[in-house]
Amino acid sequence: MNEDRFWLLISLKLSCEAQPEELSELETLLQEHPDLQLRAGMMQTIWSASAKNTTDKEAFFNKHMQRLSNHFSEPALQYEEVLQAAEEEAPRRRPLVRKLGWLTGMAALLALVIYLAYPKTVNTGQGAALAQNTVSTKKGSKSKIQLPDGTEVWLNADSKITYNEKFQGNIREVQLEGEAFFDVVRDESRPFIIHTDVIDVKVLGTAFNVRSYADEKNTETSLIRGLVEVTLRRNPDKKFTLKPNDKLIVANDSFADTSVHAAGSGPSQDVCRQLLTTMAKIRFTENESNALETLWVNNKLAFDKEPLEEIALKIERWYDVKVNITDKKLKRGEYSGVFQNESLQQVMEALQLSGGGDFSYTITRKEVLIYP
Amino acid sequence: MQRPETIRELGRRIALYEDIKAYKELYMLLAEGLQRFSYSMIRSREAAEEIVSDVFIKIWQIRSRLGEIDNLRVYMYTITKNFSINYIQRNYKNAPVSIETMDIEPVIETGDPEELCISAEMVNNIRKTIRQLPPQCRLVFQLVKEDGLKYKEAAEVLNISALTVRNQLAIAVRKIAASLPPHLHTYLAAMNRFSAS
Repeated sequence: MNEDRFWLLISLKLSCEAQPEELSELETLLQEHPDLQLRAGMMQTIWSASAKNTTDKEAFFNKHMQRLSNHFSEPALQYEEVLQAAEEEAPRRRPLVRKLGWLTGMAALLALVIYLAYPKTVNTGQGAALAQNTVSTKKGSKSKIQLPDGTEVWLNADSKITYNEKFQGNIREVQLEGEAFFDVVRDESRPFIIHTDVIDVKVLGTAFNVRSYADEKNTETSLIRGLVEVTLRRNPDKKFTLKPNDKLIVANDSFADTSVHAAGSGPSQDVCRQLLTTMAKIRFTENESNALETLWVNNKLAFDKEPLEEIALKIERWYDVKVNITDKKLKRGEYSGVFQNESLQQVMEALQLSGGGDFSYTITRKEVLIYP
Repeated sequence: MQRPETIRELGRRIALYEDIKAYKELYMLLAEGLQRFSYSMIRSREAAEEIVSDVFIKIWQIRSRLGEIDNLRVYMYTITKNFSINYIQRNYKNAPVSIETMDIEPVIETGDPEELCISAEMVNNIRKTIRQLPPQCRLVFQLVKEDGLKYKEAAEVLNISALTVRNQLAIAVRKIAASLPPHLHTYLAAMNRFSAS
């Protein structure tokens, strides 16, 4: 008998790689050569000997998690050092609101409304109604404000930010509707929290963009630098830690509901849940050093392979117009482009050209009509 | 316990829900084997622990794309191998660049003399035989026996063919078998010597 063949069969059997015919061949060989049985049996014992659980996996894992969190906080720490210098400037008590040079002529007037004496029950112990500041922008306008702690907020069109007038207490809280870019002054003792309809964003010192328009499908958080933690309001146990260049996309509730219902017999529940939150990367386009998500801060209107339907929403806010698309198929066509200081006419023309002229449009006063 | 379906499911949960419990389970399942694998190549327990931690950090960084990875276990063994080779190249002059030329320290359990009913001397013999296997053969043996990798998986990790894995493993088993007492009487003689001493 060929002993090599015998040990090959044994090795196949031990590694669970043997075919049925190989197993029966081995069986026959063992019966014919009982002298091999002893060593085969010992081989089996050696094979099944496995390492005793001497290592404390739990301790290893904890150590690993420590390294993981250090790894993620590194960028934040670097940034915090830079911020220290910025913090030297004494934070102002009153909000500083100024009209910005980057507002172009075509943009409508900056609408700035400060509501005082908006009662809100906050856990201050005073029990008295607290004054609320609200800064909002109309369609076609943008604004930049500075909060009492020195944090800078760029407010995109059709957006609103509300905060406690004194901006004191253990946490700095603002309420956001619409889109804003935050450059938050670091204050470890007082976390900064942004509340939106579907998420809460908790930060120390960092720069990031939050886009949360109620009429859009998703709420997006894009981190430029630092570290933020996002909590879903519908599931507060679920926390997301974002690193620079991360973008968290959370489906807005009303849209999430419809997507689940629409699923019906189609995709499984898992697919629907997957649709609710997505971790992506912020995007960059050619010739732009800033992320696509924050180009609006530099007064640039940007689209990146976005369906015309979503572009229409952006144009409505940017130029304060109403956009109507008559054809369903047109709504899904995707377009890209970055525009600065260009008129509505120019933007529409560029979109039409880049799409190979598959739509026509007319602009009448405050309305754009797009048709095949 | 290390079933491919289990690992695929854990990867999916991490990708979709950033499920930290699934991440921990994955660590509990794979970290030990990966550390052993890395240690075989770099011969430092501390560094192997760090390398495996780096592997898991990488897994967390790319968590959203874990679903696209065909075989997560193979993927993790492969990056462990790459990180370990990087480590060797960074830390040693004239470092070997391939597994064939590397001196592999196998971490293979042979069982205690009592379990095998043979003398400590014979167990030492078995261990010596394992250490004398060619480096690649030692790694193949370790990956298949200790970590339960399929031939195809071990082949992918080591960048060799599944047939080579099959042959190497047969060689390992044959050589170890050759170091065992061939017949009952020599076995008993060995036992007597063992109990007499």
